[in-house]
Amino acid sequence: MSAAVETQNEAEPHSPRMGLRNRVIMVFVMGALLLSLLLAGVAFTLTRSNLLNVRESTGIGLAGRNAVLVGQQLNVEQANAEEILLDLSTPIGSIALLKVNGEWLLKDAPSFADTDIDAKLLAALDQGTPHQMRYKVGAIPYLVVGFPLPDADAVYIEAVPLDDIEETLNSLGIALFGGAAITVLAAAALGVWAASRVLSPLDEIGMAAAAIADGDLNTRLIDEGDRDLHRLTTSFNFMATSLQERIERDARFASEVSHELRSPLMTLSASVEVLSNQRANMPERAQTALELLETDLDRFEQLVEDLLEISRFDVGIVALQPSRFEVVEFVRQAIRLTGTETPITYDDDVDGTIIEADKRRLARVIANLVDNAAKYAGGASVLHIAVHDDEIEFAIIDDGPGVPESERLAIFDRFSRGLEGGRRGAGTGVGLGLALVAEHINLHRGSVYVTDRVDGQSGSRFVVTIPGAIK
Amino acid sequence: MGTRILTVEDDERIRTAVKLALEDEGWQVNEASNGEDALLSFRREPADVVLIDIMLPGIDGFEVCRSLRKESDVPIVMVTARDDTHDVVAGLEAGADDYLTKPFAPKELSARIRALLRRSRATEQGVTHMSFGDLEIIPEEGRVMLGEEELHLTKTEFRLLVELASSPGRVFSREVLLERVWGYDYFGDGRLVDVHVRRLRTKIESDAANPRHVVTVRGLGYKLQP
Repeated sequence: MSAAVETQNEAEPHSPRMGLRNRVIMVFVMGALLLSLLLAGVAFTLTRSNLLNVRESTGIGLAGRNAVLVGQQLNVEQANAEEILLDLSTPIGSIALLKVNGEWLLKDAPSFADTDIDAKLLAALDQGTPHQMRYKVGAIPYLVVGFPLPDADAVYIEAVPLDDIEETLNSLGIALFGGAAITVLAAAALGVWAASRVLSPLDEIGMAAAAIADGDLNTRLIDEGDRDLHRLTTSFNFMATSLQERIERDARFASEVSHELRSPLMTLSASVEVLSNQRANMPERAQTALELLETDLDRFEQLVEDLLEISRFDVGIVALQPSRFEVVEFVRQAIRLTGTETPITYDDDVDGTIIEADKRRLARVIANLVDNAAKYAGGASVLHIAVHDDEIEFAIIDDGPGVPESERLAIFDRFSRGLEGGRRGAGTGVGLGLALVAEHINLHRGSVYVTDRVDGQSGSRFVVTIPGAIK
Repeated sequence: MGTRILTVEDDERIRTAVKLALEDEGWQVNEASNGEDALLSFRREPADVVLIDIMLPGIDGFEVCRSLRKESDVPIVMVTARDDTHDVVAGLEAGADDYLTKPFAPKELSARIRALLRRSRATEQGVTHMSFGDLEIIPEEGRVMLGEEELHLTKTEFRLLVELASSPGRVFSREVLLERVWGYDYFGDGRLVDVHVRRLRTKIESDAANPRHVVTVRGLGYKLQP
């Protein structure tokens, strides 16, 4: 389980799915885009067909009237087709073409020549039926309307340019596109706002969960009366309360156990001291028994202390009591406490360095590492202090057989005894020492590991690194 | 007349074993198995040091401590079998001078008792009178005056104040104060100093939140403003 939690903690999830926030924004944008495109499309199409229809019917009407007029005038004797054509009133821009006696006459024809008349239109006119077509000449679209004038053996054609409609439609298109773009942008903004509104409870939950994980067990979500959020708020708070109760129950239990274990130890400890005050009056056999009793009482006390300490870590009721102290003097005192004469060496820049840490825990770390060296390696040969930026490093080096690579992680587990496992003697611990070292150092946000000695000789090098060096 | 110690402990076996061990150390021991008996016993025959277990039936150790404090400045050692940091601080705030965690070695307790009964160094050096504004210390009589009013300090509070007053303006680290006032080595509990300073301030400062006499020097310790 913890492994799964850890992978989730590893920063951003790497699934291809978008985040919830982006998805909400995306839905808004896509919706707005679709809707505005649809509306723009419908508006454009309707306007276009409407404009074209109007222009077509007027164009056809006018051209029809002109065709009738031209037909009547051609039937008059000695009619001059050219003049008739010039006299015609055609809408501005429209081009009138008249074919009389197989020859095309053009009025106002700068851009539309008889050669531009589509063959299909001509073919239809040859059949004697009026016809109209829409097509482009060059870049300009035209409505071309043709009427046969069979009485005069002529054909009348009018080409009405539609480029103004095109222009209108173009500006309409730009306006619609602009409108759509603005709508989409507005939708995106709305999406961002809505997403943050919708997700703000999630942010709050996230922050509350983080606060709880950080140890502030009194954190609760405030029920703001939102019916949709009510269930979530209630279950979150219920979860937090259960968690808090459970931790408090565990802590109470640990505290009770602590009392129950320590009380008889108190009696034992005081009684053994009374006995040992009478040592001189005891027969030799009783003295030997007393010594055994004393040694194992010490061992038992240490075991109980270690077990209680590790259960406090499990229950999560440990807290650092940091203070500032000079590191070399501290190590000297910590070594004095171990009752060994482990030599201390340090880099030049360590002299005078102040560190902020929990003095008692750090002293336990050093004591446990020195004890460990005493048990498995015949004692620590040196404790070396170094400082790297704000990190302080303690290296406990021994001349023992070293720790095989395969066991270098496992020896920090509880009740692991390394290679010497199973062998018990007066000095043998209970296998919690290194596990506690790891816990204490974790609490300091530091690290501990074991490697080979740097000088290549047989032995191991336990390295503890913690932040907090001040100078 | 030897030094008399009152042990308040509800567990009979512990009480008996501790009594035997303390008597071996040369102390005279009175016993009480609960808070009420302890208060009665103390009134009948005052002790020089009181050892109180926190977990007692009826009125608890904190309450016994507070009641004793109302009538006496006797040194009090709290005994706890639990780890809650809360217990330690609450015990000290109730007026205890020091604390021990079960199981402790009776020899360690004896060392604590001796430290608590020591006279202050200033007293030994024969300093007779010190004054800082409205605060007046008379070591040889063990008295402290704030203006016209005589203050009731416990022996440990008094020793702490006199220690700070021995070098006005000098910053005392917690380690130094632990060693000089409580007789602890390098690994004494700094909370002893912090809670005692807090208690001292409520007595000698007109505004304990903005102390004028005993000032905190962040990261370093405390000093008495000359």
